[in-house]
Amino acid sequence: MKQDFTLEITSDNNFSVLNRIVNILNRRRVRIKKLIAHEDESDFKRGVAVVLLFTTADMIEKVKHQLEKLIEVEHAVYYEGSREYCELSSKHTAQIV
Amino acid sequence: MDALLTKTKVADAGTTPAQPKIKITGSEALLNSLVEEGVDLIFGYPGGAIMPVYDALYHYADRLTHILVRHEQGAIHAAQGFARVTGKAGVVFATSGPGATNLVTGLADALIDSTPLVCITGQVFAHLLGTDAFQECDVVNTTIPVTKWNVQVTEAKDIAGAVAKAFFIANSGRPGPVLVDITKNAQNEMIEPVKHVRCENIRTYKPKPVMQQSQVDAAAALINGAKKPYILAGQGILLSGATEELKAFSEKTGIPVASTLLGLGAFPTNHPNYVGFLGMHGNYGPNLNTNQCDVLIAVGMRFDDRVTGNVSKYAKQAKVIHIEIDKAEINKIIKADVAVHADAKESLTALLKKCNANKHEEWIDSFTKLNDIEYEKVIVKEFNPSGVLTMAEVINHLSNFTKGEAIVVTDVGQHQMTTSRYYKYKEPRTNVTSGGAGTMGFALPAAIGAKLGIPQKQVVAVIGDGGYQMTVQELGTIMQYKIPVKIIVLNNNFLGMVRQWQQLFHDKRYSFTEMQNPDFVKLAEAYSIPAKKVEDREHLQGALREMLAATTPYFLEVVVGKEDNVFPMVPAGSGVSDVLLEAPTN
Repeated sequence: MKQDFTLEITSDNNFSVLNRIVNILNRRRVRIKKLIAHEDESDFKRGVAVVLLFTTADMIEKVKHQLEKLIEVEHAVYYEGSREYCELSSKHTAQIV
Repeated sequence: MDALLTKTKVADAGTTPAQPKIKITGSEALLNSLVEEGVDLIFGYPGGAIMPVYDALYHYADRLTHILVRHEQGAIHAAQGFARVTGKAGVVFATSGPGATNLVTGLADALIDSTPLVCITGQVFAHLLGTDAFQECDVVNTTIPVTKWNVQVTEAKDIAGAVAKAFFIANSGRPGPVLVDITKNAQNEMIEPVKHVRCENIRTYKPKPVMQQSQVDAAAALINGAKKPYILAGQGILLSGATEELKAFSEKTGIPVASTLLGLGAFPTNHPNYVGFLGMHGNYGPNLNTNQCDVLIAVGMRFDDRVTGNVSKYAKQAKVIHIEIDKAEINKIIKADVAVHADAKESLTALLKKCNANKHEEWIDSFTKLNDIEYEKVIVKEFNPSGVLTMAEVINHLSNFTKGEAIVVTDVGQHQMTTSRYYKYKEPRTNVTSGGAGTMGFALPAAIGAKLGIPQKQVVAVIGDGGYQMTVQELGTIMQYKIPVKIIVLNNNFLGMVRQWQQLFHDKRYSFTEMQNPDFVKLAEAYSIPAKKVEDREHLQGALREMLAATTPYFLEVVVGKEDNVFPMVPAGSGVSDVLLEAPTN
């Protein structure tokens, strides 16, 4: 059964990293409901993306491993529901501001 | 301009000034890095945006051999052939725009088949990026889905680091293709020489998982308690150099071994524990017994749909142990009861210590009995036909004449499946084929790369008449460099595998699969390649022997039955137990 998942991805902040992440989600036809991405305030060479996805538990687990296979991705963590998306996105937005 | 002449090297006579720093171009930095990485062979095709690199290459002839192919697709497949037989990354040069996009098929092929490549593409000047300049294409974004990693370099100082990273990524973990796109200004830019330092670590990349002993223990417990254990050997065995470990493990535990398409050569086909080839056109015993085993041990394979058939009918009775270096492959298709996330060699070594000595003679006999049924119903007829020549008898003779010791490069289709079924591979890295991507046109250039990689080995390309014509221009490369590959085209004047499906599943509507072909012998001779055509059984063996004895390249066309089919066959959507030994009669 499909449901909301919040996916937090930490990676190097290289050109095309966001494309690589979105490519994997697109290829698996995982619906992106919301997305926030930014470079790390303390180290511009690193970045974070937080994505609200609508998919199955099986798919989010598979996508997590495929994302972690990307050379620049440090790790991907997911949470059930959208509550974490709100918390993480407001935390990261506050950092940017 | 001659790249070497751009070096500053002035010193006044009679004085002893401080040694001036010699600057080099970005192109020279690239070539120095390739030399430092142990590269001595490059497949490529020049063009506007990579001309500075080719200009510098002119002066590296003593260290770098460049093979001028006839199309960039030929370059990348040749590099794949080289990589597959040597285990070293194949290197490709191509220009921007169409030069780079012509690499895409090979990149996709190399990615799915875990082949290490480093492709260097020229790119327009950095200030022209995004302006739709002549021969500009967004190569990085185009190739993201078909590379393990790619990067664009716009400054000469970054070239050495990018190349070092490229080789590390291409060769480590599950190998794959990497592309480095270098803008022309970076190729021309003069810089202080940069010492090439091999990359050994990337913060975010962990190519070698730490094997968990608890996973090994759990796997060993399942294996030690199994009555009908069964090993599926994939290409991971070859990539990790674990062929001896697999043999020792199978011999100690008495467990039968079947091979995937890319795993052929990982276990000797003449070994008593070898039970056959898996998959859609695999052997009867290995497919049927997948649904009879109690413990399935998959090593370095990814449960491709051509192996599993319908996954809802696949090995449901078995406990599955999946030994795999790529975590994303574990539980992707088949749920593992025990996953050993580690390198195959390390895992098999650990399992060898933990698993008990055993014998499973009755279980292995069950494979033999099933394979005997296949022999009677399929193989006898194919090896001893009364009418037109069959692909099977050609491959059987080829296998016998070469004692299963040649490097055999196949394309995609009926001839590929026939070769995989009947060539008796004995040694690792002697089977070169396009597996996951199924790239027609792969074999001819891949054979060039394989021969240049292991010159002392007999290299035979077995190709269908359709795939041959997709990259036939590489006969020019063979001619120019006198590369003594042997080429067999099994000509049925059809796109045979598609035609087989049309016959079996589309009521014999042969929709655009029949081909009118050129005179292949004249075509080969136009490239100064000795050639022969065989249409009858009487001349087949003599022609094969003549081909194998030739010290030059040699082309042999064998006319085979137009509407012959490859059986056994697991029809698409069926389970592995539904394997057919002959066409349904209705």
